[in-house]
Amino acid sequence: MKQLKTRNFCIIAHIDHGKSTLADRLIELTGAMKSDKIIEQVMDSMELERERGITIKAKAIRLSYTAKDGVTYELNLIDTPGHVDFSYEVSRTLAACEGAILVIDATQGIQAQTISNVYFAMDHNLEIIPVINKIDLPSSEPERVLEEIESVLGYKSEDVLPISAKTGQGVPALLEAIVNKIPPPKGDLNKPLRALIFDSHYDSYMGVVAYISVNDGKIRKGDKLRLMGQGTELEVVSIGYFNPKFCPADELLAGDIGYIATGLKSVGECRVGDTITSLVDSATEPLIGYKTAKPVVYTGIYTTQPEDHGQLREAIEKLSLNDASFSYEPENSPVLGNGYRCGFLGLLHMDIIQERLEREFDLSLIVTVPGVKLIVTRTDDRQFMIVNPSDLPEPSEILKIEEPWVKISVITPSTFIGPIMDLITQSEGIYKHTEYIGHSHSPDALGQRVRLEYEIPLRSMLTTFYDQLKSRSKGYASLDHEVIGYRETKLIKLDILVNGVMVDAFSRVVPPDKAHDIGKSMVEKLKDVIPTQLFKVPLQASIGSRIVARTDIAARRKDVLAKCYGGDITRKRKLLEKQKEGKKKMRSIGKVEVPKDAFMSVLKMEQ
Amino acid sequence: MSDSMAIYIHVPFCRRKCKYCSFISFDSRTNDIPGYIDLLKKELELRSVDCNIDTVYFGGGTPSLLTAEQLNGILSVIGKKYRMADNAEITIEANPGTVDFKYLADIKTAGINRLSIGIQSFNDDELTMLGRIHTRKEAVNAIEDAREAGVDNLNIDLIYGLPGQSIDDWKENLLTAIGFNPGHLSLYALTLEPEESLFKEIESGKLPDISAGTAASQYELAEELLQKHGYVHYEISNWAQPGRECRHNLVYWQGSEYLGIGVAAHSYIGKRRSSNTEDLDKYINALSHNVLPPQDVDEIIIPELEIAESIILGLRLYSGISIKDFEKRFGIDIMKRFGRQIEELINFDLIENDKTVIRLTPRGRLLGNEVFWRFLPDKV
Repeated sequence: MKQLKTRNFCIIAHIDHGKSTLADRLIELTGAMKSDKIIEQVMDSMELERERGITIKAKAIRLSYTAKDGVTYELNLIDTPGHVDFSYEVSRTLAACEGAILVIDATQGIQAQTISNVYFAMDHNLEIIPVINKIDLPSSEPERVLEEIESVLGYKSEDVLPISAKTGQGVPALLEAIVNKIPPPKGDLNKPLRALIFDSHYDSYMGVVAYISVNDGKIRKGDKLRLMGQGTELEVVSIGYFNPKFCPADELLAGDIGYIATGLKSVGECRVGDTITSLVDSATEPLIGYKTAKPVVYTGIYTTQPEDHGQLREAIEKLSLNDASFSYEPENSPVLGNGYRCGFLGLLHMDIIQERLEREFDLSLIVTVPGVKLIVTRTDDRQFMIVNPSDLPEPSEILKIEEPWVKISVITPSTFIGPIMDLITQSEGIYKHTEYIGHSHSPDALGQRVRLEYEIPLRSMLTTFYDQLKSRSKGYASLDHEVIGYRETKLIKLDILVNGVMVDAFSRVVPPDKAHDIGKSMVEKLKDVIPTQLFKVPLQASIGSRIVARTDIAARRKDVLAKCYGGDITRKRKLLEKQKEGKKKMRSIGKVEVPKDAFMSVLKMEQ
Repeated sequence: MSDSMAIYIHVPFCRRKCKYCSFISFDSRTNDIPGYIDLLKKELELRSVDCNIDTVYFGGGTPSLLTAEQLNGILSVIGKKYRMADNAEITIEANPGTVDFKYLADIKTAGINRLSIGIQSFNDDELTMLGRIHTRKEAVNAIEDAREAGVDNLNIDLIYGLPGQSIDDWKENLLTAIGFNPGHLSLYALTLEPEESLFKEIESGKLPDISAGTAASQYELAEELLQKHGYVHYEISNWAQPGRECRHNLVYWQGSEYLGIGVAAHSYIGKRRSSNTEDLDKYINALSHNVLPPQDVDEIIIPELEIAESIILGLRLYSGISIKDFEKRFGIDIMKRFGRQIEELINFDLIENDKTVIRLTPRGRLLGNEVFWRFLPDKV
């Protein structure tokens, strides 16, 4: 039976531990593609993914492997997103597999996301094959990392495979382990159809293409199907798998992984995590509980020039066809005009969407201070959600405010514990737990490796938390986080006035005891980034009508081209044209020309 | 093409490059000068047209590295291939470190009648900071020698807004210059570009940053002092005793035609602006084969641009833009075409309008760029 010769697995790893390189090597060694054809590592397709070294969209590739026992197996490799922002997508991918290769970097050892990945995989009852990668590097310490894996994750050393995804060393043994250790899919071909959607994307020719893992039953072209969670009905326009290109097929059977083209117009109608069944003779129970990935970070997005708003609307609509996990609602700002309040799975997701909007749609954007979704209860007991600081009611009308908290886990050499604990405490973190997990890098006197667990408000992580964590630990610390729920909090709205005009894009909610310091550093930062104007510009931070900080940008006094070089009027004119062009990258607020970078700068500000 | 024209001749050689200089000039190729002179003459011949030459200007670089004989040779080619006007203004830029009494007397005999001395500062510390090759003493000697040699049309160049230069430092420079009673003064604010060594010294913290505020105050001081001493502030960076305005530079500001000869020289003839290559070897190579050098800039100035440029350049002059003359030249009422900009600029106190003329206010002369860019067409 074909199903017995199928192995469905994914690769899980902390960022940069070599997931994509290993995927390439597996593809090459099973002959799906000649190595010289793997110009780009095929599993990553978007340009952005490549630049950031992460994978945003999961895809699956079918590999054919003849093992030492002489049997030819069908291996389905499913790629997973490598960042905690996309943990929901990761969990759906894991649900589509029976096994996972856990990649750990031989030069770095266990990192925060290694541990969360393992727990994740265990939750889904996956067979985990731990591998130590990059053993070809001179700085690799496989013995130390092996000890760590034994003590922290509990694997026996004989079960951990040393490999180099780069050179291919150890990868043949890994292929054998995949067929020998990972069980075949367990579904039943004769039961009603149940297939899990673990990824989807929009294609302008075929409509939404869903990547699926067929658990029970089978799917053929032309079948009429229904999504059990969302209720969407669809017809299979085309069906097949990847090897790694689109490979149309007649059907997908229980145990298979492949794609169906649905003709649907938006990925929002065909969300990751839903179970597909037949319209008639339906299954009764979905494979896993279906939920939608919910945004946790919100920001306002506007165009630098108000007249480009139409283009922004089009761009956001197009992007959302392909990314069901970001939300958008039109909003209107008194100073920035029409824009959108967008919700994201995390800061990285936000950065990616912003970059794609600017790059793929050639837009110049202003992005406001990111915030969380607050639950506000008014004195009349009515409750509502707030994602825009401007919507926060007057303090007298507020009974209570609740905000989301996260559990964070930081792994760091013990040398840096002091500064890291300071940072987390300043960020309102609450200490939970310390765990010593192993020796540190042998040549450096960095002490033991420690895992710290804290709970902190998500809000505190939205500006420079991660950058500071990295700089305070000289790059050694790794971070993982998980939303744990809402807690009551005290917050007030801090506003910034530029030349007397309140700029809602700079407004943010902050704890009352920090308002003064944050206000002061915001106006000082803005003083640095807003160029001098033709007049003096006061910058003020206020809480309600109370000014808590103030500074002034002195008027510009001199700006004139002095000399004309032997009649070089063209160059002179070009300089003026550049100056004029620069005005387009500015947003005029109360007659003050504010560069778009100013909006970014207060986001990246240290406090 | 009109029947009279200005000629600019670029001499791209220096003994040493000043630390603030971004002009096209080479400090290790003075051996190329004799050959270059021959090519200048060849270019003059290749470009020759039958018209009156009202002004000739030798700029650089350091044109005073040319001998009187070499200058005479070039001028006689102009005399032969063009028509030199009887009262032509013939200027040379001179570095005080390269001239003496005999040289100045000789070039006067060769036909030079206006001398622009690049003094830049009378303060030895400032001269060192700028990387000038001369001292205060040599600067003073050059001016005195010029006077003795009978050069009566004399310009002094000074630079202000130097790193760490106080208002008083500047005042002393200015008063020293005024003491020599030059007919003309050009005062330039130091502007630096990233490739210049002075820029790098400031970036690295070796020198204090230049202060736009101090430079503005120094400029205002100059306006006040020079007016008191009888100088007319006829252009943003230029002051002259009545009748001593630089006729050559007025050609640029007034949008008249000029022919540029030599490396990187710009021409504006028949609504077309072009410039010779900035590459000395390419220039030498082309003309050695009797071919005009490749052009770095070559653009037709369409009416829309011509209008913008004429406003930008015209506003640099104290005389400003005559609403009537503008209408006569372009058939356009400037107050209608640019009504929005003009109103906004008047509100900012950057320009003033007395119903016949539009000109920069004193504040506008300091913030000219904010005025100028507003008159550029949106898309060209």
